[in-house]
Amino acid sequence: MPGIVCAIRGGPNSQPTINTAISLAKDKGLPVFFVYIVNLDFLSHTQTSRVSILSEEMQELGEFILLSAQAEAEEKGAYSDGIIRQGNVEEEIINACKEFDADYVILGQPQVKESENVFDQNRLEAFKERIEKNGGVEVIFAEKGE
Amino acid sequence: MKKVNRKLFLIPILAIIGITLTWNTSNSQAQELENSPYIIGIIFDEQGQQIVDAEVSLISNVDSEPLSKTNTQPDGRYNLEVTDRIPDFLSIHIERPHFEKVTLELNQAQIQSLRSGETLSIEDTVLLRRINPAFWIASVIFVIVLVLIATGKLHNTLAAMLGMSLLFIISYIGGYINEDLFIFDFEGSLNYVDWNVIFLIMGMMIVIAIVEKTGIFQWLAFFAYRISGGRMWLLLTILMLITGVASAFLDNVTTMLLMTPISVQIALALGINPLALLMPEVMASNVIGVSTLVGTPTNILIGSYGDISFNDFLTNLTPGVILAFIGLLLYCGLIFRKDLAKAHAPSPLLLEKLAEHGEITQPVHLKKAGWVGLGMVILFVFGEKIHLLPAVTALIGATALLVWIKPNIEEMIEEVDWTTLVFFISLFIVVGAIQEAGLISFIATGISQMVGSSLILSMLAVIWLSAILSTIIANIPFTAAMLPVIGFLTATVPGANTKVLFYCLSVGSAMGGNGSLIGASANMVTAGIAEAAGFRISYGYFLKKGFPALLITVSLATIWLLIRFH
Repeated sequence: MPGIVCAIRGGPNSQPTINTAISLAKDKGLPVFFVYIVNLDFLSHTQTSRVSILSEEMQELGEFILLSAQAEAEEKGAYSDGIIRQGNVEEEIINACKEFDADYVILGQPQVKESENVFDQNRLEAFKERIEKNGGVEVIFAEKGE
Repeated sequence: MKKVNRKLFLIPILAIIGITLTWNTSNSQAQELENSPYIIGIIFDEQGQQIVDAEVSLISNVDSEPLSKTNTQPDGRYNLEVTDRIPDFLSIHIERPHFEKVTLELNQAQIQSLRSGETLSIEDTVLLRRINPAFWIASVIFVIVLVLIATGKLHNTLAAMLGMSLLFIISYIGGYINEDLFIFDFEGSLNYVDWNVIFLIMGMMIVIAIVEKTGIFQWLAFFAYRISGGRMWLLLTILMLITGVASAFLDNVTTMLLMTPISVQIALALGINPLALLMPEVMASNVIGVSTLVGTPTNILIGSYGDISFNDFLTNLTPGVILAFIGLLLYCGLIFRKDLAKAHAPSPLLLEKLAEHGEITQPVHLKKAGWVGLGMVILFVFGEKIHLLPAVTALIGATALLVWIKPNIEEMIEEVDWTTLVFFISLFIVVGAIQEAGLISFIATGISQMVGSSLILSMLAVIWLSAILSTIIANIPFTAAMLPVIGFLTATVPGANTKVLFYCLSVGSAMGGNGSLIGASANMVTAGIAEAAGFRISYGYFLKKGFPALLITVSLATIWLLIRFH
């Protein structure tokens, strides 16, 4: 079933991404698959390695964030579903595109220091090319967040 | 047959003769030893600390082989046996890496005394520190480890392991080429590892691994939401108390690791910025954790080094912690009032999800963990009467819980945070190197000269120096490095023998963790989870909110310590 893959991680910076995905879903009559990817790289800044328990907690958190986005989509008249993945953000978005035979991918452009973001501008462009080469999926960038 | 019997009869007789001869021989040797004169003495460093493992030799002249040789014990004492013929000239040669060599010439009266078989007591010897390349290398490696941890360029454990490995490479390979590059060998480095700390942390980790799977934290957070009935100040107070009290008995990192996701969900459901709950929670965790021996990693280090019991921490710090918590609560209520005022009733869908997450998942395990936890607290409190070390209590508690619950032991052992244990072992060795090479002695002397003999000045210096430095460098390595310095000040500053300076270090290093994002591991974990949910806690944001909290809480705790100990 074709649809729109929308990678989010919650917070105000994800709102434009969610809005773009919902508008597109309504225009094209496609479902939105909100994707939340659990990434535990921040543990490298501590001496702990509580991957197992933290992974479970982050999945719960991810489900909650997805549920919020789904509730918003439903309220605005778009059909949506939520998917949790864990691991490398780029790889998991590509996998989700393949899994749901996506027509579109919506990517956000959060406004934090480039070095601290998975999607800095250059990498974002390279990632867009990679997704498009991988299976004819159209990549749409959402407006920049607050 | 008779011959065989006769032989059998001879065996016990020969055995008795053999044993008797051996007994007599060893007795006569003992008599010879008893008659041998001894030279005894104690060796100190400039700070009055006993020096262990210094090589003490008795020589008749510079070129000859030593007549006798020994090493100093942990109490700095040596006992040099003089077995040979006693010549006319004798001197004692003392040497140890990182210290100036000392030669003490014995006068004729002393030599005569030895000849008459009397034990000769040498007056206390002070060895002076020597700054050699090893001193600079150990210091630079320590700084590199601190920088790697502070900047996050390497995982904390990897940074400490890198430092430890560099020390060994330089000691073994460099030391082979030039003895001035030698810091310590592997065996010597292990003397600096505090195994009481390692086993206490390990035991607590097993207990925590069982407790955290029961869903108690999530249930408590949801319970706070329910009983607050939409009153945000009450929700904030209860969440801060839950986090703080949990941190006092478990560890800050685990507490925040479990409280942060559910708190973010509560905040999202209420439509408020999650940071308005997370920042007060993590700061409460850093403040209230100070009140017990097991509440913070720094307290575990301090308790073990300073021989401070669970009770001592409770009685000497709890009133100060309560005072600091009240200050923190008022401060948080004030700075987050606008965020909290935006709360609205949650949607039924989100509330349902929240309630689902806020359930006790393993009630039987929780009940058993509760009983064992209670037993552990009793042992922590009363165990000191029977000299029961906290590490032993933690291990007994962990074992009792494992036996009672019978979980998959392999899974349970995997739950132990081995990287933290390796971090501590590596860190002890890195800090041990600067202690061995003399950096700690220089710092101790410097602080001692700064504060003189004033207890108040010492207390203020230790609290505020450790609080401010904890905002720049991670507080665990900082505290580990400061322990010998505090030990020295405790021994030299009049009135400090109440161990007040250790409490000052405890307050400063833990509450100082609130001053910046890198000040405590719990801060980093909270920030990481919040960012993964789309709410960033930047270094600047944490500094802006956290540093005033540091000033308020540390000031209030300082007032309490001054009232209590002066």
